[in-house]
Amino acid sequence: MKIVIAGAGSVGRYMADQLRSSGHAVTLIDQTPAIVDRFGSDGAVTWCLGDACEMATLETVGTADADVVAAVTGDDEDNLVIALLAKQEFGVPRVVARVNNPNNEWMFNEMWGVDVSVSTPHLLTAVVEEAVNVGSFVRLLSLEGGNARLAEVTLTDTSPAIGIEIASLGLPRESTVVALIRDRHVVVPRGDTVLRTNDEVLVLVTGDAEDDVRRVLVG
Amino acid sequence: MAGLLRRRRTKAADAGSTDPLIVSIAVAPARRMVKVCGEVTRMRARPTTGLPALAVSISDDTGTAVAVWTGRRAIGGIVLGRRLVIEGVAVRRGDHLEFMNPEYTLLRR
Repeated sequence: MKIVIAGAGSVGRYMADQLRSSGHAVTLIDQTPAIVDRFGSDGAVTWCLGDACEMATLETVGTADADVVAAVTGDDEDNLVIALLAKQEFGVPRVVARVNNPNNEWMFNEMWGVDVSVSTPHLLTAVVEEAVNVGSFVRLLSLEGGNARLAEVTLTDTSPAIGIEIASLGLPRESTVVALIRDRHVVVPRGDTVLRTNDEVLVLVTGDAEDDVRRVLVG
Repeated sequence: MAGLLRRRRTKAADAGSTDPLIVSIAVAPARRMVKVCGEVTRMRARPTTGLPALAVSISDDTGTAVAVWTGRRAIGGIVLGRRLVIEGVAVRRGDHLEFMNPEYTLLRR
């Protein structure tokens, strides 16, 4: 796949390196000459010195044929502009944007062309929450502008779901159990999988079904 | 920011539909700047994930294109039956073309 990454800081460069080694064609854009001079000799990735908020720069790197654009600069305003241009002016199928300040996260949605937003502070909070909140409902990741969420519940022995088959839980239609982590192993859930204490249940929830899912799994 | 500030033409044009750059919806390429012309056949205020958006379907004899304008529920002059020229970059979604915030020209009825 052809991937354009805007912002060649440590995040952008790491992504470029990883994606290139998985066989993708990666282009990195950065507007700081010093960064391009220092790292741009890496021949496996295409580099471009320029402002990714400019149409001309995006045109130069062939955004019109890109499968994915990732806006991962350290500036939320820039990331939003890049996402909007990629979606609106180039019809890029998948636009990923990085949220630097969690207070800006509400803007990273479809209106600005963002398909997936990744907020490091929010992820860190979720991981910490997950570690301390056994028995409660923790949101891990938002997809489709917050319309779908991946959530995690670690079941305690007071959970009403213990000893029940997944198919019989009565989960709302807008949700599905996507994985179980049991004794440090990932179990692919089937309808007849019986839930046990200490299972970490990963649930994909869309719409407003969150409260119902919480009722079923947490009580 | 130049792209964002692209001027929006909204004037009522006489000869818009005879513009030689206009192509049939059926053959309009995805992900390239195109101009299509048609009649508004469907309008839907579509609040995707709680955000206002207006989805306007326009049809010519060959197919249907949908223009989605985000952040608004109505646009003055765009009503059912009105003829429009739409210019922008579209993506294929199922059997139709979809534009996001395209330029538009209202044609005289």
